[in-house]
Amino acid sequence: MLENSSENDNLNHLQRFVEVSGVSKSYGSQQVLDDIDFRIDRGEVVGLIGPNGAGKSTLLKAMMGLLKCSGEIAIFGQNPRKNRSKLLEKMSYIADVASLPNWMKVQDLLKFVRDTHPNFDHDKAIELLSKSDIQLSKKIETLSKGMKTRLHLSIILSIDSDFLILDEPTLGLDVLVRRDFQDRLVEDYFHAGDQKRSVLITTHQIDEVESILTRVLFIQQGRICLDVKKGELQQRYCKLVTKQNIVFADKGLQPIYQRKLPDAMEWIFTDVDKSALQEYGEVVTPSLEDLFVCIM
Amino acid sequence: MQNSFSIFISLLKREFLEHKNLWRVPLVLLMIVILLKLSFSFGNLAIEYDLPEIEPLDETIDSVIDSAVFRTLSVVNYFVMIVMFLVAIFYALSCLYEERRDDSVLFWRSLPVSDGLTILSKLFVPLVLIPVIILLCQAINAVVFMGVNASEYLSFYLGFVVELMKKIAWTLLPVISWCMFCSAIAKRNPFLFAIITPVLFVLVDFLFLNGVVSESVVINRFSAANQFSILALVTGLIFSSFCIAVTLFKRAQKV
Repeated sequence: MLENSSENDNLNHLQRFVEVSGVSKSYGSQQVLDDIDFRIDRGEVVGLIGPNGAGKSTLLKAMMGLLKCSGEIAIFGQNPRKNRSKLLEKMSYIADVASLPNWMKVQDLLKFVRDTHPNFDHDKAIELLSKSDIQLSKKIETLSKGMKTRLHLSIILSIDSDFLILDEPTLGLDVLVRRDFQDRLVEDYFHAGDQKRSVLITTHQIDEVESILTRVLFIQQGRICLDVKKGELQQRYCKLVTKQNIVFADKGLQPIYQRKLPDAMEWIFTDVDKSALQEYGEVVTPSLEDLFVCIM
Repeated sequence: MQNSFSIFISLLKREFLEHKNLWRVPLVLLMIVILLKLSFSFGNLAIEYDLPEIEPLDETIDSVIDSAVFRTLSVVNYFVMIVMFLVAIFYALSCLYEERRDDSVLFWRSLPVSDGLTILSKLFVPLVLIPVIILLCQAINAVVFMGVNASEYLSFYLGFVVELMKKIAWTLLPVISWCMFCSAIAKRNPFLFAIITPVLFVLVDFLFLNGVVSESVVINRFSAANQFSILALVTGLIFSSFCIAVTLFKRAQKV
């Protein structure tokens, strides 16, 4: 009987993959996070998007167990601030890509991670690095910023974890490195894990990360203001691009955003009949950047 | 499969990789000793030393072995101990400060290694490994200096091990804990912080209380190291536990 109930507990914990409920955090009078609620299930790539100072990093740090906050965070049913080292066997994160120890040689770092992390695949890390220019005998301080990021990601991707948190992993990198980073993330982490793994990522480059996300969380002034799956995005939002100047209020339509371009007008609508709009011009799905701008 | 013990060993390995002085300094010391011994072979024995007497000179040994060699060995071994204590202090001052300064603490803390185990490994280096290195160096020095006769010196060694352990418990433990504390909390310069705070404390104490407190709590620990009182041990232990607790708390708070 007892065993059975603990098994049920485990199952419940598995179902509650990542759960954030009522999380708030304030520094003095400044409210950084305000009653944040969301869940992440297996097989999701979630982008946390918001302007500077919206509380993205604070939220991620709280989820990494680095920061104390009120409310409840449960990752695989566990509080990330308690029993942290056990939890980190199945959850990995990059808090700051510039945090690798500069004095260490690449090979020594890999050995250290192998010796301390039970789920680290040393051979896979070597294989991932062999596709790059990073030499194992080099000291980390001699690597360029992009190479350091690649090394960090290679280490993280070689860990058999279930949940990965990335805070601005591509900040300050050029477009080739960013694209490579995203490809590695999808191929070597998401698909390699049979799509049972999940990723939570923050970034400034919304347009670039858009293609790899399955879901988007918009955060503003410490609140989640939009939580939408990529598939729903298409159903709920549409963008009309037209050369005509139309007054929509007369037609009972309420655009949530409008923008004048040199040779056209753009309107964004939510929950409208697309066929009704098609007579005015081209109807497309708005990009995340469009949505970001009209929601923020 | 990793267990805490094997993780602990790799943590120690990392410390030796990062803080190269831990093994470089003993090697340099050993080279100096060999050079000194070589210079003896050229007859250069008549160097005048003012000897700090760290152990009572045994008349029988003194008579058996050439007294000049023996006394030089004592000086050299005393020197080895002081230098390695300095290495221990500088290690403790930098080990937590450096990882904060270059942000690598964020990476280390993203691995499944508890802060407690990490701090334990960082205490283990100066409090256990460095004393072991000191004893090893001194034993090697004895062999270099006296060859076969070293066995007599080494048999006399047990007293010295006890002496060293007392020094660790009474003096090194609070000093290292204090340095770790400074390393964990100092914003800019843990070295200055570690030196200036106790100096100020002693100064203020001398100005207002005639130095009663600092003499028993700070100064006696260094100058009259032979007065191993229980009170000093207990205050040292309490102080060390406080420092280590704050150190641990600080590392666990690092964002």
